[in-house]
Amino acid sequence: MTSVDQHQRASFDALLRPHLDRLYRFAFRLAGTKPDAEDLFQDVLTKVFARMDDLVELEEPGAWLCRVMYNHFIDGRRRYARQRLVSVSEDQLPEKNLESLPGKLDPVRDAERLDNIMQLQRALDSLSDDHRLVVLLHDSEGYKLSEIQEITGDPVGTIKSRLHRARARLREILAAEGTISGA
Amino acid sequence: MTCDLIKNQLDNYVDAQLDVADMQLLDEHTAHCADCQEVLDRERVLRASLKEYGDSSMPQPDVAFFDRALAKAAQSGTKRQRNRWVMTGFGGAMAAALVLWMISGTLLEAPEFAEPTMASIAMVIEEPRTVNLVFSTAIALTDATMTVTLPEGIEVMGFQGQREITWMTSLGEGKNVLPLTLIATSPLGGELLATLRHADDDRSFRVQVEVI
Repeated sequence: MTSVDQHQRASFDALLRPHLDRLYRFAFRLAGTKPDAEDLFQDVLTKVFARMDDLVELEEPGAWLCRVMYNHFIDGRRRYARQRLVSVSEDQLPEKNLESLPGKLDPVRDAERLDNIMQLQRALDSLSDDHRLVVLLHDSEGYKLSEIQEITGDPVGTIKSRLHRARARLREILAAEGTISGA
Repeated sequence: MTCDLIKNQLDNYVDAQLDVADMQLLDEHTAHCADCQEVLDRERVLRASLKEYGDSSMPQPDVAFFDRALAKAAQSGTKRQRNRWVMTGFGGAMAAALVLWMISGTLLEAPEFAEPTMASIAMVIEEPRTVNLVFSTAIALTDATMTVTLPEGIEVMGFQGQREITWMTSLGEGKNVLPLTLIATSPLGGELLATLRHADDDRSFRVQVEVI
């Protein structure tokens, strides 16, 4: 590796590292599985490396990185489809990933929480991709509507409407299952 | 009238997006209306569950994943050697390299034969069941295509109404699991066909689905 390469690598590292956690979470929200998220994350980092000149000019690289990832995901949606094959070991079989939900010293309540969360996951899975993404970004990840607009390029009104419909659908599904009670 | 306002403006009220007068009106109303208070409580439980889901569903990357990803991006970005070697010399090796079988619930040991097993499952109408198709390959495969063809009345959750689903995938060396959550919408049953294609080669796996 030449000194120019080393310098470029060090700059890349310094620019990207503060944003990696958020970018990883965003990749998972888009792709839906850990292997797909990591493929997407890797592909976007590789793509961004070639755009270092753009990156260094940005005041807020976080939103730009998410936008690059979103566009890359939309372009290759089939590649990152939610049902792709995954390399697994036995303890990683489906529906086991949530069993590590942190407990609060009350086994009965923990079991109820786990059950509720798994029902919520199934309800989320039944939403369309667009609706699921907006509700996860806004209500689970804490993105503002304006941040989602910046990433997706969709008008705030459209995003708000999707969010409204997604929540309404979740309420319907969970009420039908008796999952969300007011108690 | 105010009860309707709660129902119509529930999202904006919980998000505190209404103007001060409306917020105050609904605060006062919910303090005295048990039905609206219940609606509001349910919504707050849903929001709290979504927030908790955000963290509980998020996997943690391996400790060194970010370091590796940065290094690989820099390396790939400069050299552009994107796994092309994997595509060479593959051809007819697939038939010998790939073993397919099905599991339901537990992971079975790899069979010692290279022909796919005949498998069957029983389902109950409208009752989802996850079937794990296991593909074992001796070498990593990239840019493979998976096609799942479903019999009439059997659907994959999330792909309602689709009789054929195709997507690109890659397989790591060793066991790879495709979890398919199926739901039967009619008592017909039939044969589910999963076909993996790579270059000019393909392998198919058939599952007889009986609906009881």
